Amino acid sequence: MGCKKPYNPPPVAGDGSYLVVEGVINSGADSTIIKLSRTVNISSKITTNPVSGATLTVESDQNAIYPLTEITAGKYGAPGLNLDASHQYRLRIKTLDDKQYLSDFVPVNITPPIDSVGYNIVSVPDTGLQIYVNTHNSNSSTRYYRWEYSETWRFHAAYFSLFISNGSSIVERQPNQWRFFCFASDSSSDIVLASSAKLQNNIIYQNPLTVISSTSEKVELQYSMLLREYALTPDAYTFWTNLKKNTEQLGSIFDAEPSQIKGNIHNVNNPNEPVIGYISACTVQSKRIFISRNNLPDLWKPAYPYTCQIDSDGSQGPGFLIPQPNDFVPMSGSTYTSSICADCTLRGTQTVPPYWIY
Amino acid sequence: MRKTYLISLCFLFFLQTALAQQKNIKLISCNFQQATIAQFAADLESKSSAHFYYDPTQFDSLRVTLQITEQPLESILYAAFKNTNYHYAITSSQQVFITKGRQIKTDLAPGFITIATASNTQTSAVADYTDDKDKNVPDATTENKLYEIGTRTNTIKPGNATLSGYVRDIKSGEAVVGASIYVANTKTGVATDQFGYFTITLPRGRHTLNVRGLGMRDTRRQTVLYNDGKLIIEMQEQVNSLKEVKISADKVANVRSVELGVTRLDIKNIKQIPTAFGETDVLKVILTLPGVTSVGEATTGFNVRGGSADENLILLNGATIYNPAHFFGFFAAFNPDIVKDIELYKSSIPEKFGGRLSSVLEVTNREGNKKIFTGSAGIGLLTSRINVEGPIIKDKTSFIFGARTTYSNWLLNLLPDAYKHSSASFYDVNLDISHQINDKNNIYLSSYISNDKFKLNSDTTYSYSNKSVSLKWKHNYSTKLFSLISGGFDRYQYDINSTANPVNGYDLAFNINQSNFKADFTYYLNNKHTIDFGLNSILYNINPGTFEPLGAQSLVLPQVVAPEQALESALYLGDKYDVSTNFSISAGVRFNIYNYLGPQTVDNYAPNLPREPGNVLDSTAFSKGHIINTYAAPDIRLSARYLLNDNLSVKAGYNTLHQYIHLLSNSTSISPTDVYKLSDPNIKPESGDQVSLGLFQNAKQNTIEMSVEVYYKRLRNYLDYKSGAVLLLNQHIEQDVINTKGKAYGAEFLLKKTAGKLNGWISYTYSRTFLKQDDPNAGELINEGNWYPANYDKPHSFNFTGNYRFTHRYSVSLDVAYSTGRPITLPIAKYEYAGSERVFYSDRNAYRIPDYFRSDFSINIEGNHRVHQKTHNSWTVGVYNLTGRQNAYSTFFTEQSGVISGYKLSIFASPIPFINYNIRF
Repeated sequence: MGCKKPYNPPPVAGDGSYLVVEGVINSGADSTIIKLSRTVNISSKITTNPVSGATLTVESDQNAIYPLTEITAGKYGAPGLNLDASHQYRLRIKTLDDKQYLSDFVPVNITPPIDSVGYNIVSVPDTGLQIYVNTHNSNSSTRYYRWEYSETWRFHAAYFSLFISNGSSIVERQPNQWRFFCFASDSSSDIVLASSAKLQNNIIYQNPLTVISSTSEKVELQYSMLLREYALTPDAYTFWTNLKKNTEQLGSIFDAEPSQIKGNIHNVNNPNEPVIGYISACTVQSKRIFISRNNLPDLWKPAYPYTCQIDSDGSQGPGFLIPQPNDFVPMSGSTYTSSICADCTLRGTQTVPPYWIY
Repeated sequence: MRKTYLISLCFLFFLQTALAQQKNIKLISCNFQQATIAQFAADLESKSSAHFYYDPTQFDSLRVTLQITEQPLESILYAAFKNTNYHYAITSSQQVFITKGRQIKTDLAPGFITIATASNTQTSAVADYTDDKDKNVPDATTENKLYEIGTRTNTIKPGNATLSGYVRDIKSGEAVVGASIYVANTKTGVATDQFGYFTITLPRGRHTLNVRGLGMRDTRRQTVLYNDGKLIIEMQEQVNSLKEVKISADKVANVRSVELGVTRLDIKNIKQIPTAFGETDVLKVILTLPGVTSVGEATTGFNVRGGSADENLILLNGATIYNPAHFFGFFAAFNPDIVKDIELYKSSIPEKFGGRLSSVLEVTNREGNKKIFTGSAGIGLLTSRINVEGPIIKDKTSFIFGARTTYSNWLLNLLPDAYKHSSASFYDVNLDISHQINDKNNIYLSSYISNDKFKLNSDTTYSYSNKSVSLKWKHNYSTKLFSLISGGFDRYQYDINSTANPVNGYDLAFNINQSNFKADFTYYLNNKHTIDFGLNSILYNINPGTFEPLGAQSLVLPQVVAPEQALESALYLGDKYDVSTNFSISAGVRFNIYNYLGPQTVDNYAPNLPREPGNVLDSTAFSKGHIINTYAAPDIRLSARYLLNDNLSVKAGYNTLHQYIHLLSNSTSISPTDVYKLSDPNIKPESGDQVSLGLFQNAKQNTIEMSVEVYYKRLRNYLDYKSGAVLLLNQHIEQDVINTKGKAYGAEFLLKKTAGKLNGWISYTYSRTFLKQDDPNAGELINEGNWYPANYDKPHSFNFTGNYRFTHRYSVSLDVAYSTGRPITLPIAKYEYAGSERVFYSDRNAYRIPDYFRSDFSINIEGNHRVHQKTHNSWTVGVYNLTGRQNAYSTFFTEQSGVISGYKLSIFASPIPFINYNIRF
């Protein structure tokens, strides 16, 4: 009765493209990475529009200057800055067209360590695995948190192909030619926030990070998550909450209206120019966890993301499975399937990540 | 066989009467055995020169058995009707009137010929029916009888006298509200008030009162007005036209009333309009009226002439209802079996109402049946309902009770995914008691409770409730002055709690309480002036939010936003002045005094700087009952009507309004978690004024009504919100709101057909609403301080509501609605941030969602209309959104798996069939 349908609004072209600044001044021993880009038209095919050639510096309120260098197009970094947490810092950007941008001075937040990352089996809205984080801060100065995570999981192709065409004939695959088990990874795309401001103690208990469906390949063998925690100022928390509301939490009957998102970066000469982004300074905490298939309900069955079937020329023999496309015309007695069903490297890598623990 | 016997009898007596005729006084002999009136009259006519006049239907049970020899006609009549309820009267020209109950006066009514005649010879036996002295006011039930008002005098004194009384339903004894009493020869008319009471000042003498009431059969009363007096008019229900659409009680009111922009709808009209799921909805129907637009399909919020949803004062029997909706807003929280009618004031808002900027919607419940116990029950797709009413003391005290409950959980599965795994329940209960102490005093008790509870995705529980109780005392001091004193208590509350995460288990509660006192007086000074005056007072007590831990493990820190108190009072005085028969004006002033009361701590901000945390100079603590600040302002209410001819009038109006209570909501609809805020030193009252002009015409014996109205409206200190404002549990809400200005203008066209097989109305409205926020001290400008369209700016709006009656039992209704899509803010750019595509929004409300179109159809089947059966039943079968158009409720852009996509949300996106069964007992 009710429904949600794709909607393409009339083509709307903004009269400009605005600077987007993303990143955190890492006050600890890890590197600081700042990404610069520009917005694109809503109908544009590309979404990344990096800004190269800019000069970026982190400045302290004591006039100390820490330069960043461009690593790849639009990505600027500096090794561990080890900043003095008693001072305030800001970011200065000078673009190639000679525009200067400054972020507001922000204090350094000391991020408390992540206590644990765990999971619950949930049945609502769908059966799956809800991964959560627990943290606390005995130093009550910071009550606002944001998390980012990277996921890595081991999965397998639909079929284990033991044969391969060498161009003229079908030969058995060597173990280094097996394409059954792979690793895939992804990083968080939802904004995850929490605050203990309304609690007696500075405790974050089981704050949901993501839900993995029981049919996802992520949990068919082994799953790992690297969680990074950032402590926020109240102002930064407001920015992230608005960004989340405006871009993720729309579509209910009682929606708040989308609003302009005010960051803390301004054009020095033209304060009215919209600049998207918020620069915070903090230490970063991280934690990696592993979840093995053995600890999950037996009944969970992964749904292979592609429809797979085995074809043959009619005289099917055991174990003869060759992925297509293949310039080789299947010989009598062989079975074959599309390569996406037999070659996991099309969707992942066979390189075992250095941190992986089976 | 019998006939021949009778005829032979007549022949037998003919000889004898022939003998008698030779004398001066004709002597008649007769012998009747169980004779009917026709036989009786025919026989006597044949034997005398007399002519008989009578109403055969009144005599169908009469049988005359009489044997008389050689007597005058009068003696025969005397003997035949003595000790019966039948009366006779003989005129000098030998006309015989036989009546039941009352005797006909055969001389002219005094005053019919105004030449004073000293002698008043009582030649005929005439009962003086005004000789009631201390008896009750006469119940005037007959059209052709002459009722004498006041002490009878032989001569009619010149000058005016005042007639007052009640119009009631003869069957149930219920007051007929809004019935019109129109006196053709003086071209004056009045309408009954909410208690069926009327007062009219007329020249002394004979008048015919034409009485028309909603759903009642038109009637008239013959009166002779000697002095001030009373009359109770009992009307009969119009049973044969159950499905006739009558939008206004008073067919001539369209043209003759002084007010503009006032619409009354009877529950019978409302029941014909197809709604989603067939649930009669008293709020949805007003969306078909010109100048009223919907906030959205799933909400009962409505916008009147460019006002926001919280600018409507919704009254149920005088009690303020803050959340008039059930089930997220899908249905009105008013039980259609109890509601009698609704009245919407868009422009000419009477002085006695105030406190809201845009409109007043008065929902009035029926009074219970004063004569017999009766009731009804209904089964629909979503709710079951029952209503019982009857006398507690016959003709004096009655009650009416109604209740509804739902089993609507299944509906949730049809809603968008976000509502899956949810559950909902609601109920509402009404109990009203009315009691007539005596002629001059009536008391009315009404009570109401509605309750909603729903669980979204089985983790958070929402509940909200309206409660109200009120006591009214109506007192007539004289026929010219009466008062209505009422006191009541209204409460709206909601509660949200969740224990999904034991450490974060919380309970959030909000409530608003108001105690009302109203004293309204109406004084009918003379036939030119009707004066209304009174005093209204509301004491508000708002608990803006408490946030408390729930569950043993919860670590939630209790948080309380300080309660707010305020007293809103008003004194008003208004006069409806009929300058001439063609020109009337209504002028009034309502003086509002608003006191914000302690205990409270108020922040003081540096002047001329944005209200931001850094600009707080200090704060002042006020003790309990201390008046923190006062806003006082007069509201002006003016309207005038000039009759160009009997069927055409031009009207104009101007009014100003103030609003001291604000709904804090940054969503477009009223959501169950919105908070109300009182004006305080940092948040000014909203104010507005409106000028309107209208042309009104009736045609075809007032069965076609046409009107064109134009208006221009200004709003000041309308509340908007800074980007990312947090409205819930905000201790410093003034830092998150900004004052905006508004302007709205439009033209409304309405064509109504009120009688006939096909009836209904068509309306078209062109209207615009703009807002502007250009206060440099607000901290941020919306759309660079330029005018921008409000969320509910829908320039073109068209509605058709029609009903066609095939027979008394079958009718079909069709409803068509079209409007321009509402404005939205669309993204103009996208970028990548935090692992996903995100969007950057344009200027506010620069674009629009697709246009809205919907048509609904229903068939109404009444059971048979035999009066004497235990139950009457009816069916309604129909389809909502016949064409299945997927109207956009909203469009939005949201990120999923790192990619941003546009979506359109539709609420009722396919044809929805419904069925409803009702039974009356």
